[in-house]
Amino acid sequence: MPVSLSDKPQLLTICLLCALAWLCPVSVYADEFAVNIKKAEMTLRGNSYVLSADIDYQLSNSAKDALQNGISLFWTVYVKVQQRRAYLWNKKLLDKEIRYRIQYHALLNIYRVRNESSGAVGNFSTLSAALHTMSMIRNMPIMDKADIASDAHYIAGIKVSFDRDELPLPLRPIAYINPQWYLSSDWYLWSLKK
Amino acid sequence: MVPEKIKPPVSLSVLVLFGLILLSLQLMSSATQESSQLSAMYSWLLLVNALGSVVLLGLVGANIYSLTRQLKKREAGSRLTTRMVSLFVVLSLVPAAIVFYFSMQFLHQGIDSWFNVEIDKAMEDSLELSQASLDQRMRWHLRQTQQLTDRLQEASESLATLEMENLRELSEASEMTLFSRQGRIIASSSINPGDILPSLPDEHIWLQLRQHAEYVDLAPMREDQLMIRVIVTVKAEEPQYLQALYPVPVRIADLADSVEFAFVRYQEMHFLRDSLKLSFSLALSLVLLMSLLAAIWVAFISIRNIIAPVKELVKGTQAVASGHYDQQLPVIVQDDLGFLVESFNEMTLRIARARDETRLAGLEVENQRAYLETILANLTAGVISFDALYKIRTVNQAAYRIFHIPVSYFIGQTLSDIAHGYAELAEPLKVIQRLLEQADDIWQHRIAFLGQNGRRELLCRGTPLFSQEGRRVGAVVVFDDVTDLMQAQRNAAWGEVARRLAHEIKNPLTPIQLSAERLQHKLADKLAATDADILQRSTRTIVQQVEAMKEMVDDFSEYAKPSKKQTADIDLPGLVQEVLALYAVQSGVKFKVDYEAGLLMIKGDPVSIRQVLHNLIKNALEAIDAKGQIEINLNRLRKNNGNFIEIALYDDGPGIKDEQIEKIFEPYVTTKAKGTGLGLAIVKKIVEEHGGAIWVDTSRKVGAGFIIQLPAI
Repeated sequence: MPVSLSDKPQLLTICLLCALAWLCPVSVYADEFAVNIKKAEMTLRGNSYVLSADIDYQLSNSAKDALQNGISLFWTVYVKVQQRRAYLWNKKLLDKEIRYRIQYHALLNIYRVRNESSGAVGNFSTLSAALHTMSMIRNMPIMDKADIASDAHYIAGIKVSFDRDELPLPLRPIAYINPQWYLSSDWYLWSLKK
Repeated sequence: MVPEKIKPPVSLSVLVLFGLILLSLQLMSSATQESSQLSAMYSWLLLVNALGSVVLLGLVGANIYSLTRQLKKREAGSRLTTRMVSLFVVLSLVPAAIVFYFSMQFLHQGIDSWFNVEIDKAMEDSLELSQASLDQRMRWHLRQTQQLTDRLQEASESLATLEMENLRELSEASEMTLFSRQGRIIASSSINPGDILPSLPDEHIWLQLRQHAEYVDLAPMREDQLMIRVIVTVKAEEPQYLQALYPVPVRIADLADSVEFAFVRYQEMHFLRDSLKLSFSLALSLVLLMSLLAAIWVAFISIRNIIAPVKELVKGTQAVASGHYDQQLPVIVQDDLGFLVESFNEMTLRIARARDETRLAGLEVENQRAYLETILANLTAGVISFDALYKIRTVNQAAYRIFHIPVSYFIGQTLSDIAHGYAELAEPLKVIQRLLEQADDIWQHRIAFLGQNGRRELLCRGTPLFSQEGRRVGAVVVFDDVTDLMQAQRNAAWGEVARRLAHEIKNPLTPIQLSAERLQHKLADKLAATDADILQRSTRTIVQQVEAMKEMVDDFSEYAKPSKKQTADIDLPGLVQEVLALYAVQSGVKFKVDYEAGLLMIKGDPVSIRQVLHNLIKNALEAIDAKGQIEINLNRLRKNNGNFIEIALYDDGPGIKDEQIEKIFEPYVTTKAKGTGLGLAIVKKIVEEHGGAIWVDTSRKVGAGFIIQLPAI
């Protein structure tokens, strides 16, 4: 934080702006980082629809550093299904959240992935193994067959959102400004047919 | 008053704003506490505070902009406001900046002091110690399990099931399971009889197992209990795998947990060190920025309120300077400035009152002046005042009536200037001018000139004007038209003389004449021829002389009586011809009458005018001794804004001597052997009574010439 003994409020403002500019990296980082949804589909299995999705988690160096230093990272997977209606707004059929937490344990040198929604825990000796677990959603029951009418048109969507507000307090303002912490995906939408 | 109306809401809004700022800052401060529920809102609070700063910055910017515009327009009070605001900003900013600088220093140093190399090392060492301790335990369990496999090498599957229970109890494992090579559970024993399904190794473990023939790791099991999983190969015809799960003693697990927790916490802090500094700096900067901006904004409002009366005063003073004395300023506060404003109001009130009084006094003076002017204008006497350089300053209406000259056009000029334009007035004006310049006291002078209505006589009285210091500041001349008065006086005097003459002289003449005739009549026959002849001559002389005396007295009474008895329009050429007809019979005299065709009419008494002509012609005839030429010219001419008829009469006689010219019109002045000497006097009297003038034409070299000018109709 550059500090100067100036007597002009404008200068102070300029200093703060400089500090903000310093937080925002000008150059493009060498490592590619992003969270993308590669594939997602809903299939009918028995009497219920199940979700399968492949999500690609590519962590940035900042995120990896933070994880390595004992900071837990949280992601929420949002799943939604809506019915399209001609003259009205879309009808919500489903709004589901799956929350993942990944944490590094220094003593055991393992990565622990915890599904906060179901309580399932997995321990992995490598980060990629841990992310791999998170990235594969397989046959997750979503809704009943009966909920879907054959003559209607449905849209399903999935999105992964990085939870910045779960980061430690000092890191939060930076996470909002620094692109290194932009670790959310866009909505992945597809049409759902019976 | 507008400022009073908006004052309470402004101060209220300022209070509310300050409350909000403090609340927001307090919330942000609370949110930085990790345990606080507000921590979830930290980002929002930060944003709200940043927005608040931007709003305040906008307010301050707007105020600065408005102040700059006022400065450019040179509005009242803007410079004082600028100076006060600058002073306030400098005074508040310098200590704030110093506090900010040292706070930053302390903050950074404080955070840095949490960390040092020794603690780093200690933390890492303690973690390593924990790991080493657990490692040792794992190795020990591995060896123990390997030793157990010897007892299973020859055992059949059914025996193995029985043996498993013993082995588990022997080794104090919580669970023991025998797998086939394919992963099928051959036998299993658990400390907890409820556990039907043993803990199964995952793919990753199987892979390791096939490579290294043994496997050991420390894994958190259910309820976060640490377990040491050991899998070893049982050497037999059909190789089998024995898995044993050993619980880590609670004490050791707790210690390891504690060490790990501390290590992780420390590492996290270490990692977040820069972020923490930045975060605190940001919060501190925000607090300082908001406080400063709010203070500056409030300073603007307060200073504006303080300056408001000064502003009003400046405006009021400017208004008074430009002559508006009706300024009354509102008294906003009862302080020193309020007192100043009250004093200003009182001052303007007094000035306005004084101005009104002056105006009234001026009006009074003006009225007096106008009144005096009216009196002066309506005076029958002409009044002309002069300045120190004898230039005309004021002149009244009567002056115009008397001179028939627009004297008021000549204000600022001398009398000599007027004389250039009006030749007939030149002489009298020059006389007055000379008198003005020379006289040191009141003077009086009588002047005569031929005006529009004939010959006028003026009585001029002048006096020089002196200032209180005795300096000559000008003069004033008053002149009266005394023509009629003089005429009346003269007439009265001559009338009295004539009456006396008639009474005192003429009355004894008849008895004298009668007595002489009686003497002649009575004694003529009685005396001797010689004596009778003497008597006759004597009585004839007496009678003749008495006759002459009578004639003289008659002439005199004729002269004394007013000539303008009854007026009528007289056609002069006709009258001249008529008079000449009487003299035409006398041989040897040639009459030449010359006149321009046109209206040559005058208003007067025909008998008197006829007498004028008779007297003049008779004089001329006597002068030329009835031989020669008499010339009469009639002209109409314009003079002194009036029309005159000029009658010029010339003879070719001996002429008039220079020394006689001046006195020729006075009674009893004559060049002739006989005659009463009243002829020309009567002529002059008649002409003057008709408003005309007569003089001797001296420009004529041969004979005598008389010029009469009479006012024309």
